Amino acid sequence: MIQKILIANRGEIALRIIRACRELGIKTLAIYSEADVQSLHVQLADEAICIGSAKSGDSYLRADRIISAAEIADVDAIHPGYGFLSENSKFAEQCESCKIRFIGPKSQTIKIMGDKSVARQTVAKAGVPTVPGSDGPVDSESEAIKVARKIGYPIIIKAVAGGGGRGMRIAHNDVSFAKEYHVAGAEAEKAFNNGSVYIEKYIQNPRHIEFQILADAYGNVVHLGERDCSVQRRHQKLIEESPSPFLTSDLRKKMGKAAVRAAAAAEYENAGTIEFIVDSKGEFFFIEMNTRIQVEHPVTEEVTGIDLIKEQIRIASGEKLNLDQKDIEFRGHAIECRINAEDPARGFTPSPGTIGLYYAPGGHGVRVDSHVYSGYTIPPYYDSLIGKLITHGDNRKMALERMYRALSEYLIRGIKTTIPLHKAILSDPVFIAGKATTAYLEEFLSRTPPDLF
Amino acid sequence: MKRSELTEFAVEEEGFKLKIRRGHNGTPVVTSNGGPPPSASAESAASPAPAPASPAVASGDDKEEPGITFIKSPMVGTFYRSPSPESPPFVEANAKVSENTVVCIIEAMKIMNEIQAEAKGTILDILIENGQPVEYGQRLFRIKQA
Repeated sequence: MIQKILIANRGEIALRIIRACRELGIKTLAIYSEADVQSLHVQLADEAICIGSAKSGDSYLRADRIISAAEIADVDAIHPGYGFLSENSKFAEQCESCKIRFIGPKSQTIKIMGDKSVARQTVAKAGVPTVPGSDGPVDSESEAIKVARKIGYPIIIKAVAGGGGRGMRIAHNDVSFAKEYHVAGAEAEKAFNNGSVYIEKYIQNPRHIEFQILADAYGNVVHLGERDCSVQRRHQKLIEESPSPFLTSDLRKKMGKAAVRAAAAAEYENAGTIEFIVDSKGEFFFIEMNTRIQVEHPVTEEVTGIDLIKEQIRIASGEKLNLDQKDIEFRGHAIECRINAEDPARGFTPSPGTIGLYYAPGGHGVRVDSHVYSGYTIPPYYDSLIGKLITHGDNRKMALERMYRALSEYLIRGIKTTIPLHKAILSDPVFIAGKATTAYLEEFLSRTPPDLF
Repeated sequence: MKRSELTEFAVEEEGFKLKIRRGHNGTPVVTSNGGPPPSASAESAASPAPAPASPAVASGDDKEEPGITFIKSPMVGTFYRSPSPESPPFVEANAKVSENTVVCIIEAMKIMNEIQAEAKGTILDILIENGQPVEYGQRLFRIKQA
């Protein structure tokens, strides 16, 4: 078993990882930027090393300094969390060559699945349905437009090095296609250093339903059910729940099997997520695989009772999965609201600053994953996620009511947060009826006066 | 390297130990001293323990006297005073340095990086022991500026 882990991340996920390590008796090393000196994870870790100044590019993204810290502190594994270097195959490779275990899949897998076009082709070979589209990246505008006409508009142009909702452009006809194609390539080049793009049919207003995967180093792969993440704003998830109110048990079985096939086709190891989009008729299509632990992993933990971070550590330690698919049970319903330091009444402007009073909700079926506290100053250099509120109930109605109750108790004074937005969504008939697709949030915002927040 | 004392299940309540110190541009960086433990909920067992101040953040002297400055580590690694085990140290106390004077080596991932003073003056104190690991921003030498 791994003895000491360096947490190459910050905020709530760093805290989450430390908690799992504590329970497993594993020592923890926090690395941090000068802006995070007062961060909870830095205070709670067994050891901490400052690795740079505030900007991520000078700290959390500095693979060399992170590995240097790992060496001087003699750690045997690094947990990359999500974001930052978690899907950076070069970083995973550096860990491998320094004989430090990277808690995640092999660097080669990250590389393959990180190319969204290759990922498509890899899973398609295993019989996993993918969105109709180009067979790989398109090399020229003329080739691209041929593909677009063949699959039929509307189409979406995606960066092969993109993902997570970034680097995508939609075209509805030949005329707009030319412009969107060039803009997509230029944006991709600028954002990801890779201007290569591929084409997919644009499925209108799908639901975003993803499956959690666990795989060990011995070829065993299981899925832990789905998460419906359709409530998104500009491709950023706000609310996630499990099970999806849309899936029938047949469709769940089919998609679960497809997710396992997709992970096996990628020779996946450790925790990962297969993302699907599902249209109104129940047709599902693979869009990408996330080769890391995700923000919304607690939703799956509450429904299955399985601690995903501990499983990640065990798998990375070389243990065999002690779960068969038939052993995995799903109990009740869980929902998560991402609490961001943003002002929903003013276009979601970021609201960094010092938290005055902080009081988190509690009680049966309520879980709070947050690194903030009364008196904590949110640094402006990183993302705006300050916490996750997760509730669980015997059924969806109970989970939603509990979430509303918990949101009403949650006090975060001194900054603006998205708590009022979540309360409004949780009261909205469309959401309550389980009818939210990825088009939902924009539609909800268009008919909701901002002063409601 | 900072070590935090983990006493989360301690019977006594322990608050944060934080200090007021001058930031880089002279503005005070207020950090509370004592006060309620920053735990999110009353039931939370994890009451963050008082963290002994990290040498990189607030070492013993909080006031920076005029004319005194510090050479800080620009990287994470191991501090060496000499170019090799047999050689004499790059600098000793009272040595005069200019911007380009190499004052030490920080080894990171098997690469020996020569660290320059980037200041003109006299070395007053050497704050790190030979072979000690250092973090980013950690104070290495105290210098009286020329």
